[in-house]
Amino acid sequence: MTDWAEPSDFKEWGKRMFALRPLLIFILISAIFILELRFDWMERFLGSYLVTTNSARPESGSIWEKSHQTRTAQQTLEKILTDRQALQREARSAATFTQIAAKVSSENGVMLSADHFRQLYMSLAPTIARDIISPLDLLELVSTGRWHRTYFEKSGSGLIVYLLDADNRVLRQLELRSSLLSQLERGEVTLAGSLDELPNFKNRIYTADQFFQSLKSFHEEARRSMVPHPDLLLAAPGQIVRVGISDETQSGFIELGFEFIVGNQRRVLVVQGQEWAVWRLRGHLEGLERENAAGSTENRKEDWTRQ
Amino acid sequence: MSLFAVFVRRFNIFFYLAITLAGLGALLTAGLFFIALRDLPQVPDPLGRIIETPPTEIFAATGERLMLIGGREVVPLNRISPDFIEAVLATEDHRFWEHHGLDKLRTLKAMWITLFERGKIQGASTITQQLAKNLFFSYRRAYMRKFRELLVALQIETQYSKREILEAYLNQIPFGIGAYGIEQAARSFFGKPALELNLAESALLAGLPKSPTRYNPYRHFARAQKRQQLVLARMLAVGYINAEQAEAASQANLQFAPLAAGTPRGSYFLDLVLNDLEERYGPEVVYHGGLKVSTTLDPQQQAWAIQSLQSGLLKLDQLSGISDTDEFDAPNSQSHPQGALVALECNSGAVKALVGGRDYSETEFNRAVENNRLPGSGFKPFLYYAAFEKLKLSPTSVFVDKPITIPVAGAADWRPQNFGREYEGPMILKHALMKSVNAIAAQLVERVGPDAVIDVARRCGITSPLAPVYSLALGTSGVSPLEMASAFATFATGGVRHAPFWIRRVEDPLGRVLEEHIVRGQRSLDASIDYQVVDMMRGVLTTGTGRVVRRAGFDLPAAGKTGTTDNFRDAWFTGFTPTLSVSVWVGYDRGVSMRDVNGVGITGGRGAAPIWADFMIKATSGEPAREFTVPSDIHFASVDPINGVIAGQWLQNKVKVALRSGQEASTVSVQSADQMTDKTPTQQVDEPSTQTTDQPAIEAAEDSAIKEEELPPE
Repeated sequence: MTDWAEPSDFKEWGKRMFALRPLLIFILISAIFILELRFDWMERFLGSYLVTTNSARPESGSIWEKSHQTRTAQQTLEKILTDRQALQREARSAATFTQIAAKVSSENGVMLSADHFRQLYMSLAPTIARDIISPLDLLELVSTGRWHRTYFEKSGSGLIVYLLDADNRVLRQLELRSSLLSQLERGEVTLAGSLDELPNFKNRIYTADQFFQSLKSFHEEARRSMVPHPDLLLAAPGQIVRVGISDETQSGFIELGFEFIVGNQRRVLVVQGQEWAVWRLRGHLEGLERENAAGSTENRKEDWTRQ
Repeated sequence: MSLFAVFVRRFNIFFYLAITLAGLGALLTAGLFFIALRDLPQVPDPLGRIIETPPTEIFAATGERLMLIGGREVVPLNRISPDFIEAVLATEDHRFWEHHGLDKLRTLKAMWITLFERGKIQGASTITQQLAKNLFFSYRRAYMRKFRELLVALQIETQYSKREILEAYLNQIPFGIGAYGIEQAARSFFGKPALELNLAESALLAGLPKSPTRYNPYRHFARAQKRQQLVLARMLAVGYINAEQAEAASQANLQFAPLAAGTPRGSYFLDLVLNDLEERYGPEVVYHGGLKVSTTLDPQQQAWAIQSLQSGLLKLDQLSGISDTDEFDAPNSQSHPQGALVALECNSGAVKALVGGRDYSETEFNRAVENNRLPGSGFKPFLYYAAFEKLKLSPTSVFVDKPITIPVAGAADWRPQNFGREYEGPMILKHALMKSVNAIAAQLVERVGPDAVIDVARRCGITSPLAPVYSLALGTSGVSPLEMASAFATFATGGVRHAPFWIRRVEDPLGRVLEEHIVRGQRSLDASIDYQVVDMMRGVLTTGTGRVVRRAGFDLPAAGKTGTTDNFRDAWFTGFTPTLSVSVWVGYDRGVSMRDVNGVGITGGRGAAPIWADFMIKATSGEPAREFTVPSDIHFASVDPINGVIAGQWLQNKVKVALRSGQEASTVSVQSADQMTDKTPTQQVDEPSTQTTDQPAIEAAEDSAIKEEELPPE
């Protein structure tokens, strides 16, 4: 590279200043500058390049964080709701209180309609139903029109049932103790007192001998339908002295009351037998009774004749 | 060498130097670009995705929306006032329609000012850059962050139309008071949709995003107005409006909507709700899940509660000689007494109003819930209930008001004293509670034991830790106003306790129920004993320490109890009607004494009861007078307050008492020996020495300020 030398005259100055190379450099730089200012080609170029890399870039930054949080929140909510709805669905399909009790956890209660509760209540044997709430009290609640929904909540191993109005105020609180639920599951209930005190049974009370004699005359399948859980009777303390058959049928079942003597106290254990089988048993027992009655009349006649 | 030659030579040197530097600069920029590219965030597509977060909404019991968290009320550009769009463009980026994400001229100018003008930093962010910053970056100043912001802006400009960019920007900018996006802002500030904003309103709103707190027109109207005029001047300079329009807009009278949705009003309550929701669902679900939360708050009662508390505290300021009302505008929570008020529905436990301090914007510490202050004599109803239940006493049982000393195992003797150290001699228990006599309360707790008092308090709903010491009966364990209101509501409902609640129902964004509160009551107290205590507490209002309530004009059937603690650090009044239970606390955060200008201490009767009365008058206006339910085994008798003997016609100050079956007022004055004489305590518990010498609860409202009246018959 030759050293720069000062031009000796203006002509030389002019030649040098308007030489092709400086002019081209000047025009090029000016053009770049003006074009950039006018058309933003650099920004456009960079922008277009960034669009092509967009999908490969991380989902970072505040808006993405918010988006992830929203997604997580929605998933959490969805899980809570799915569990809750599944629980509600199962509870709605439950046909007995014991099935509901099996669904309800200590964290999650179950809300059912008032009608659903009534259906469950009506499916109970009257003696058990009365133990939960008197039908008259329930009728009164229904008649007020205030009872809208029923909430079931776990309480120990039992259930607390809240009968609610439209504002979720508790109109009546019921308790289904674990012992009662177990009885419901087994289909039996134990009551203090004798059969004579239970209006349903007082018309058909037989001695234990009569009952079991009659029972013996049926084949095994029929006997199982008459007394579905003999193990309950075996497990109960005391001695069976009398057996009552209820006047009422309930959803295909008839209650049988077994009166025990435990010490000097009497208790009645109520179980449900299938209606068709209990009818047959009842018929048989009544037949025996008639025979016995006829037999005793004959005997009395014979005795009288002898006399 | 001529001067010209020197110039040319230098020019050449500078020219090539500049080219070299430019080249280096380009290389550096390219390097920076690739470094920045590594962490550059992805831009969502479509851009509208930025506003997909569903808002969590909190509603009052009336259905009115109290708060909106997150989410945006998105409106297209054609639903936004053109005045507002122009105001924003003029203020933020008047070459928005021309540039491609970077305003080069403005950037060069800003760089020049930042580099060469000392102490000045000039911003030149375009609307696109601001959008990029708001969407992806923090507000921390850093050159690399700025560069990344620019790159994202360039991509946004390439990927989306100008209208899309402007729409996204206008729908997410913060305006303060919890309003994000122009639609929310227009509704919050002016109660109208964004399309209906006029020029003056548009200019005001366009000025807010620069500093929403600093220009908040509700707090700093003058500042906000100045900023509005600056916006109008920019619009005039850019040519969007003419001088007449600018003048007219700057003179226009702005009609602001009352502070409501998303504003600090009721935020002590909202804090309580949010804390509760966070505990149940976690912050992510609360702030990003789009919950719909129905609360128990009654906005009207809440407004009255704020009003009553604030005006009561201002009166207290005057009473105490704190006259610097300016300080209230620029407040200092340490120099003024604070207060709290909780109102809840007795037969459900629903919190209808809750105020945790005199001004939420001053201090967010929720004194209604988090501030456990000593209740003083406000705790005595639990003691009297325990005494009636365990000791079979009745309101006519006679005790002697006299100086007493109770030995405490392992500590100095406890010598509780009455206010003014005056003793009245024998009196019936109803009279003792009405007059809040400490000496008799001490005798009762000595007999019944602190554990029995704690048991009753727990059954009523007090959940704070309670120390099993004698002085507990005089309120030496801290409780919150929420607890007090809730516990007294148990008395109001005949002994049926309802747990306090503030969230009635929570739904997801699609309206599916996540939870709902079940209003369940539990019998905690015997209805008849409860009624006896309530009847005694009614006496507190008629002739006892809380009679200021009746003087203030509140005349519905109600009961209550005042409470004042040692050295007048806390003043309480908790009272109830059959439907509403309200607790009011006042005191200094730092626990100093409250005294009037004459140095006389401020008691519950002087400090808290007037606030209670003021609130109750408003909250129950128009309500019929409802009596407390009288249990069937309760009968009434008028007796002599001194000896409990059935009062004759001639007795002036006879007291009507409620007696249970089996309890009869005697016809002759017979007092048991141990009631009338000093007796040795049979039960001793550990008592902190700090509570033995100083009488912990001093109670006798207005005793020093208002002359005691003769007790008239009830």
